[in-house]
Amino acid sequence: MTSTTAAPRGADGLAPARPGPTDAPHAPSPLATSLGFVARKLGLFALTLWAAVTVNFLLPRLMPGTPADAALAKLAQNGPVSEATKAAIEAQLGVPTGNIFEQYLAYLHQVITLDFGISYTFYPQSVGELVSAALPYTLVLVGLVTVVAFILGTLLGVLAAWKRGTWLDSVPTLVGSFMSAFPYFWTALLLLFFAGHVLRLFPTSGAYGPTAEPNLSFEFLGDALYHGVLPALTILITSLGGWILGMRNTMISTLGDDYVTFAEANGLKPRTIALRYAARNAILPNLTSFGLALGGVVGGSILVEQVFGYPGIGYLLFNAVTNQDYPLMQALFLMITVSVLIANFLVDILYGVLDPRTRR
Amino acid sequence: MTPSPFVQTPPAANSTLLEVHDLSVHYGYGEAATKAVQNVSFRLAHGEFVGLVGESGSGKSTLGFALTGLSKPPAHIEKGRILFGGKDIASLDAEQLREQRHGGIAMVLQSGMNALNPVRSIRNHFVDIFRAHGHVERSRWTARATELIGKVELTPTVLDRFPGELSGGMRQRVSIALALSLEPELMVFDEPTTALDVLVQHAVMNTIIELQKSENFTAILISHDLGIVLESAQRVMVMHEGRIVEDAPARQILTNPQADYTRMLLSHYADPRAEVVELPGFADRQQRRAEGAARTEAATHTPTVSPRTRRTDQHAMIVENVSKVYPAPRRGEAPVRAVDNVSFTLEPGAALALVGASGSGKSTIAKLITAVEKPTSGSIRFGDLDVGTLNRRHFRKLHRDVQMVFQDPYSALNPLHTVEYALTRPVVNFTGLTGTEARRRVLELLDIVGLSPVEEFAAKLPHQLSGGQRQRVVIARALASDPQVIIADEPVSMLDVSLRAGVLALLEDLREQWGVSLLYITHDLLSARVVTDNIMVLNGGAVVETGNTAAVLQNPQDDYTIRLLDAIPNPRKDVA
Repeated sequence: MTSTTAAPRGADGLAPARPGPTDAPHAPSPLATSLGFVARKLGLFALTLWAAVTVNFLLPRLMPGTPADAALAKLAQNGPVSEATKAAIEAQLGVPTGNIFEQYLAYLHQVITLDFGISYTFYPQSVGELVSAALPYTLVLVGLVTVVAFILGTLLGVLAAWKRGTWLDSVPTLVGSFMSAFPYFWTALLLLFFAGHVLRLFPTSGAYGPTAEPNLSFEFLGDALYHGVLPALTILITSLGGWILGMRNTMISTLGDDYVTFAEANGLKPRTIALRYAARNAILPNLTSFGLALGGVVGGSILVEQVFGYPGIGYLLFNAVTNQDYPLMQALFLMITVSVLIANFLVDILYGVLDPRTRR
Repeated sequence: MTPSPFVQTPPAANSTLLEVHDLSVHYGYGEAATKAVQNVSFRLAHGEFVGLVGESGSGKSTLGFALTGLSKPPAHIEKGRILFGGKDIASLDAEQLREQRHGGIAMVLQSGMNALNPVRSIRNHFVDIFRAHGHVERSRWTARATELIGKVELTPTVLDRFPGELSGGMRQRVSIALALSLEPELMVFDEPTTALDVLVQHAVMNTIIELQKSENFTAILISHDLGIVLESAQRVMVMHEGRIVEDAPARQILTNPQADYTRMLLSHYADPRAEVVELPGFADRQQRRAEGAARTEAATHTPTVSPRTRRTDQHAMIVENVSKVYPAPRRGEAPVRAVDNVSFTLEPGAALALVGASGSGKSTIAKLITAVEKPTSGSIRFGDLDVGTLNRRHFRKLHRDVQMVFQDPYSALNPLHTVEYALTRPVVNFTGLTGTEARRRVLELLDIVGLSPVEEFAAKLPHQLSGGQRQRVVIARALASDPQVIIADEPVSMLDVSLRAGVLALLEDLREQWGVSLLYITHDLLSARVVTDNIMVLNGGAVVETGNTAAVLQNPQDDYTIRLLDAIPNPRKDVA
C-alpha cells in the first residue's frame, strides 16, 4: 500500500548522483570563507577605529576656548596677567597652529607615536609615562578578574541549569544574585574593614608595599599579588552573580531545544549533551556581554581602585577629571574607546570560531 | 554490528517486539492532572509499520515520547507498562535507558528542522553517536557515516556542512540517518514531514517507506494526517482524547471504519481531481449553486452598523506583468526573481487560488497586493489606486479595502488583549465608529463569523479559544474595515482537519453574499478546489498554469501541477 506514482526523487534537490544545492561549484572553500570573514571584520574594525579617533579630535575643537584660556582665566582671578606669563602658558600648553587639516594630521601623528603631551596634574611627567605605569595594574587586576569571573560564572551557570532544582542550582543562583545586588564600593568597604582592618589578613591600600621597588622579581610580584587580593575579590564577588544567572537562564532555554531532546533520543552521554549541545549554544549570547565587560576593563573600576588606593587607570582617570587634566583625559578616553573596539573585534572573531552561522 | 542486548535470537516475524499494557500518561498529579493518554494497550510485532493518527491534543505525541522514554516532567507514566523486548522501559535507570538506545528504540522528531545542533557539523553528529555507544570502530566512522547519509539519499559532502546550510528536507533526512545509525529495532517517527513543503514531504515519506523495507525495522508513524498514514502504514491506530478508538489494518480503516471518529476523519478526505467534491458541510459547488443555499448563518446577516452596508462601487484588483526581484542574498550569487511576470485580475466577488510549493512566490504576491513590497516592474491597480507606487500616506485607503487573514491563528492575535480589543482597534481606525456603536459593530462581526454568544466571546483572551475559533477572530478582524478583497494565506493549514471545513465555508459565504473577493493562497489543492472558481499554479515565481479550478485539477497540463497533485496523500487511490 504505497504511493503508485512517486514524484521524481530528489524533489528537494537530493538525488545521490547529482550535486545538491549546497554543492554549487562556486561555493567557496572553508578557508577562503574564514579568511574573508576575518578580513571583513578587520575592515570594519579599522573603520570604526578611525571614526573614534577622529571624533576624539573634533569634540574638543567644537568646544569654545583652549586649555590655555582656561588656565589664564584662573590666573586672572588673582590679578592681571602679564603678556610674558600668557606667552609662557601658551608655549607650555601648546596652542594649535595651522588650519584644521594640518592640526588633524599632526594629531594623527601624535596618536600613532603615542605622544599625548605632558600631564598638568603630574607635571612634568608625560601622559605616556603615566598611562604605561598604570596600565599593567589595571590590565592584570581588572582584566584577569573579569576573565576569571566569566569562566567561573559560566561554569557555575552550566552546572546550575544542568542540575536544575537541586542544591547545585539554588545555592549558586541565590548567593550569586544576593552578592551582585551589593554596590561595588559597599562590598569593598566591608572587605576592607573585616579582612583588612579587623583580621589584618591583607593590606588595605596600594598595589605594593611601601618598601617594594616595581620590577619583575618574584619578590615584587608576590607582593603585588598580595595587595591585589582584596580589590580582585571585590570585583569577583559583585560580577560573578550576573554571569551565573545569565548562563543558567540561556542554558535552561537551550536544554528545551529540539536538538537536545534529539541528542537524548540518540543516547548521547549526558556530559556530551550538557557541554557540546546545551552549553555550547547557550554561551553564544553571553559572549556579547563578555565583550562589553572586557571593553570596560581598561576604563578600570574607578570605585574599586579609588577605595583601595590602587594605582590603575581608574585611579588616574579620577585624578585627571577632578584636576581638569585635559591631555591625560584625552589620552585615557581614547584608550578606553580603542580597547572597547578591540574587545568587540576579538569577540566578533570568537563568534566566528564558535558559531558557523555567523561565518558567511 | 554488535547485537542489541535486548535481542538474543534473530527475531521471528510476528513475534512481539513491543507490548503496551494499560498505559496512562498524565501531566501533573492528582485531580488537576491532564490525562493525556488513558488506558492505552496495544502490541507491536517485528517488522510492522503502524500509523498512529489523531488531531492535536489527542495524546499521540505524548504516547510517542513515553514509548521512547523521553517524557519530561510534568509528564509521567501514571500507570501501565511498556514492555520492549520483554523489559519494562519505565523500570530502566537513566544509564540503562541510554544504552538501550543503540539497537533499541530511536525517534525522529516533528521539528526535524531544529533537531540538529546548529554549531556542530553533520559529521560530528554521527561521531557523537558512534562515540556514545561504541558500536562503530573509529576507523570506520567516516565510511559508516557516508553509508548512512547515502541511505537517505544525500551526498557525502553533506557531512561537512552545518545544519544551517541545509534545506529543511535535507535536515530531516539527516535526522533519519542519525536515528538509523543506532541500528534500532523500533523507529518512532513523530510527524516527520509536517514542517516540510508538499513536494519535499512526499519525497521524504517515500524514503521512510523504502528504508523501513530495506532496513527491516519496526516503525510507528505518528501523524495528524490520516492520508499520509494510510498511504504508508499497514496498520492504523486512531487516537482521540487520550484513547485509542480504533486499531485495525489500514485497508479495513479505509473500507470499513468502525469508530465514528475515524469515519469523521475520513470524510474530510477527497480527491481534488474528482468530478464532484463533497466535504462535510460542503456540498459540491455546482450542486449547491443550483440550490442557492448559504452554508453558514454568517451570510444571512447583513452589516447594520457599518457605514457601507451594501457596496456601491466595487473594484477589481488588476495585476499586470508584475515582477519582483530581490538582490542577491550573498555576493557572487544571482538576484532572486521571487515573482516573474505575473498577470491576473481578481473581479469583485471572485475567488482565485494561488497554488504552489514554498518559494514559488505566492506569499510575495500577497505582499505586493497589500503594498508591503513594491514591484520591481509591472503595475497593480485597485480602482483608482496605483498599488505598485502607493506611498505610505495612502496605505489606509488601500487597507480599508484589502485585508489579510494569516496562516497561523496562534500568533496572529496578541495574547494579552481580549477579542473585543483586537476587533475594536480596526473598527475605530477604519470606520470611524466610536463608543457603543463601535462595540455594536464588534459584536456584529463576531456574529458574522459565527462566534456566539457574542458577548461571551468578546470578553475572551486568545488562549481561551480553540485554533478554529481564533482563526474566526482573525477573519472577523479582517472584516472590520468592510473590505473588498480578503487575502487568505493558508488560512486552514494550521487547523485540525475537522475544523477546516467550517472556516472555509465561512470564507466562501462572505464572498458569495457580500461580494468580497478572495485571493486564496495555499498548497492544499483540495481546499482550493472547494472554495475557488479559478486557479493559478506558480512555480519559481512564474505562472505555469491557470484556468478554472475544477478543469485545471481534473486535467492538469503542466508537469509541476501534476507533481503537486501526485504529492497529495490520497488514501482512496488504491481502493478506487
